[in-house]
This record gives sequence, C-alpha cells and structure tokens, in this order.
Amino acid sequence: MILAKNLTLSYDNKKNIIEDANFLIKEREFIFISGSSGSGKSTMLKSFYGDLPIKKGNLFVNKHDLVKKDYSKLLTLRKDLGIVFQDYKLIQEYTIEENIMLPLKVHNYADDVSKAQVKKLLKHVKLSHKVGAYPAELSGGEQQRVAVARALAHNPSIILADEPTGNLDDYSSDMIWTLLKNANEHLGITIVVVTHRIPTDMGIKYRRFNIEEGVVYEAS
Amino acid sequence: MKLLKSFFSFTFPLIVMLFMFSIYLLVTKVVDNYKENIINDYAIVVIANTPLSSISTLAGIKVKDIEPLSREKIIKNVQQNLSDSSIDLLQKKLPYFYKIYLDDFPTSLKLEQIRKELMTISNIKKIETFSNDHNKLYSLLILVQNIIFILFGAVLLLSVLLLSKQIKIWFFEHNERITIIQLHGGSLLYSSKPIIKIILGSAFFSSVLSSIMLFIVISNIHRIIEPEIMTLIPTVLSMEMEIFKIFILSIIIPSITFFGLLVKYKLK
Repeated sequence: MILAKNLTLSYDNKKNIIEDANFLIKEREFIFISGSSGSGKSTMLKSFYGDLPIKKGNLFVNKHDLVKKDYSKLLTLRKDLGIVFQDYKLIQEYTIEENIMLPLKVHNYADDVSKAQVKKLLKHVKLSHKVGAYPAELSGGEQQRVAVARALAHNPSIILADEPTGNLDDYSSDMIWTLLKNANEHLGITIVVVTHRIPTDMGIKYRRFNIEEGVVYEAS
Repeated sequence: MKLLKSFFSFTFPLIVMLFMFSIYLLVTKVVDNYKENIINDYAIVVIANTPLSSISTLAGIKVKDIEPLSREKIIKNVQQNLSDSSIDLLQKKLPYFYKIYLDDFPTSLKLEQIRKELMTISNIKKIETFSNDHNKLYSLLILVQNIIFILFGAVLLLSVLLLSKQIKIWFFEHNERITIIQLHGGSLLYSSKPIIKIILGSAFFSSVLSSIMLFIVISNIHRIIEPEIMTLIPTVLSMEMEIFKIFILSIIIPSITFFGLLVKYKLK
C-alpha cells in the first residue's frame, strides 16, 4: 500500500517537481505512472523507496512513514520492495546468479534455499542457459530480465519499476511486461511502473497516474 | 597493476607506522630491562637517630625492603684504634643506618620528592640517594623513548590520514555496488564487505611484514648500535608479546579509520 497526502517533492528545496499529490495505491494493484520527459515520474518513484527526502506532506509505503524515516527503517522498507531500473543496476563483478541472490543474502536466506530460488527464477525469466555469465555478456533485454528476477527473488510486496523497457526492443519489452503482469496476477505483488509507453494490450486491470507540471492526477 | 598500487597505497603507511611502533616497543623493552637491572643494585641510604619505623611507599613508589646496616659491623671496622670507653660511647652515640630498596627506579623529580618525604620523618638525620651515575643514562634512555613515542604519534597521525584517503578511494571505486546493495536493503556495513576484506588482508600482510622487519632489526642489533650501548640490550630479547601488540594495532588502526569513515558516510 502506498499512500500520499499533499506530497511535495523537490531537489535541494528548489522548484517543486511534485506538488500536493494525493493518491492511494492499494495492495495487488498494477499502476502506471506516465508523463512527459522531466515531468517528475522517476522522482516520485525515488521517493517511494526513500531515495529522495520529502519536502512537504506525507508518504506511507507499506505503513512506513517516509517523512519520519531513519536509516534502519529505510533499510527495512527497502527489504520489502523489489526495484527495477531503466539501466538495470546489476553488479558487474557478480554473475547473474549472484545478482539475483543479492536480496536473498540481505534477507539472510540459507544458501540452499537461495540457490533453489535463483534456479527457479532463471528458468522463469528464460535465462537458465546463461548460468555463470556476467551482466556484460548479456544483451540489454537479458540484463533487464535478470533485474526483474532479482526484484522477484525475495517475494516482495511491491515492485517499483522505473522505465523498465526504456532501453529495450519490442520483443524484450513484451517479455518484461509479461513478467511484471504475471508477478501481479499470480503472486499478488503490487506493481508500480514509471513509463512513457504503456503497452496497448496489457490484458489486466490497471490504473494510470499522469504527471503534468508537477500535478499528479488519475487518468482514465 | 592498479590493484597492486592501491594495495600498497594502503599497506605502505601501515607498515611504516607499525615499524615505528615496533621500534618504540623495542626501546621500551631496553629501558625496562635497564631499569630492572639498576633497581636491584640501587638503594637509598638513610641515617637515623632512632630505629626507623616501616615505610610502605615513597613518592608513590612502593618500598620493596628496608635493610638495617649492622651497627656492630661498623664498630668492628673502627674498634682497633679505639679504647674501650670510646667504643662504649660510640655504641651509645652511633646512629642507625638503613638501606631502602624501591620497587621502581625513580626519576630525578621523584628522588627529590622522596628526599622531601624522608626529611619529614623527624628522626632521620641524613639521606644519600647515590643516583647521579644511574640517572644520567636512565634519563637519556627515557629521552630516547619519549622522542620515539612522539615520532610514532606523528607517523600514526600521518598514516591514519593516508589510510582514510585510500579507504575513501575504495569507497568511491565500490560506490556503484554499495549503492545497489543499499537499494536492496543491505546496510552500509554489509555493502562494504569487499572493502573490509581488503582492509583485513592488508592489515594482516602489514603486521607480518613489520614483525619480520622487527625480527631482522633484533637479529642485527649488534651491527646497528655502538658496542658500548650493547650492554643495555638484554641477551635474550623475547618479543612475542610485542609481535602480538603489532598485530593488534595493525587491525585496530585501519578498523577505527574504516568505521570513522563509515559513520561519516552514514551521517551523510
């Protein structure tokens, strides 16, 4: 659950990027956040995982008050999230299995449980044949599938995705949408995706928020 | 090559600091050994009118023993030239002589304090400290020890600055990994694991190398110092405890520097 009340965001207290936003994202929902370039979509998503301080208002993510957050509470919140970035943010020195295992290690999962989970996820994202490969050896689409697998690894309650298909071709984009859709439909994970390109045939119920000149509103 | 360079950027100041520390420990060992030797021979002689009551400490130094000098022996030494009546008189008038042994060798300042303390005891007539000969060399050794300690302090400060600079570089190099791990809920400490591993490895390497250097210095000490001063050096220099201290310091200093930086980053 994500609840924003009069949420105002800005970088370094300069011009407000998001102003007085009010919305509620319920559990198991699939949400798109769209808007033109520089409208503040990614900024708002950053605030959801505590990477941007809140200038005014309130923001609750899974009942964590992000205004009153301290370092340890922030880490607790992040442990319950899965994040997918446009630039994948995979650790280059790690193999793809080690990358997927990262949230499991942070959660102190036992090694055998982690390995089994990674194996299952690699199969799920159709990368079983790439075991032992490093991110640099994969295409952009494959890297993003690894990132999605990593976001799913610890079965989070929310996945936040920032332009997950921004750098991908149509085929890879379709795969990513399918993975996110399945996570929402079958695992009940709340999905919040920032994108400027909403696929036409999602095939599931979703809501869309649009951002224009700092104003967040629900688009029909 | 880059890895090796960054490794030595960290270990070099650490080795210099540890070597300086080991030299300080060596000098301390020599001073302690000298002190132990002279304290066994050293005593303050006190002449008193009446028998001396027991004294437990003088100027904060524990009194090891108070040994009375035999009056009969003194009289026996001079009685050949004296008449019986003079001997009787001498026996009546001869003061009491004591040798006071201390637990620790006093500095000149402490000696002055001891003298003052003894003078407050009413029956004491005269005090002889015999300290001049011992004191000159002892003061010199203390001076050397202090100079080395100050040098060690300066090297320590410089090393900590260089270590923190190198750790900052490592934090910068691992910044992407640290950020990604933190975005997944890993703590700063957890995400800094690779840096901790490098630090501990470097610390261990530095302590081994410094211990080897110390061992080389001890083995060749007769070539390094003048033969006259060799008498100060104990024949068997056991340095096990010193090597342990070097190892502990090699872990503590980089760890403190690392955690200091960690706190700084966390506050940021």
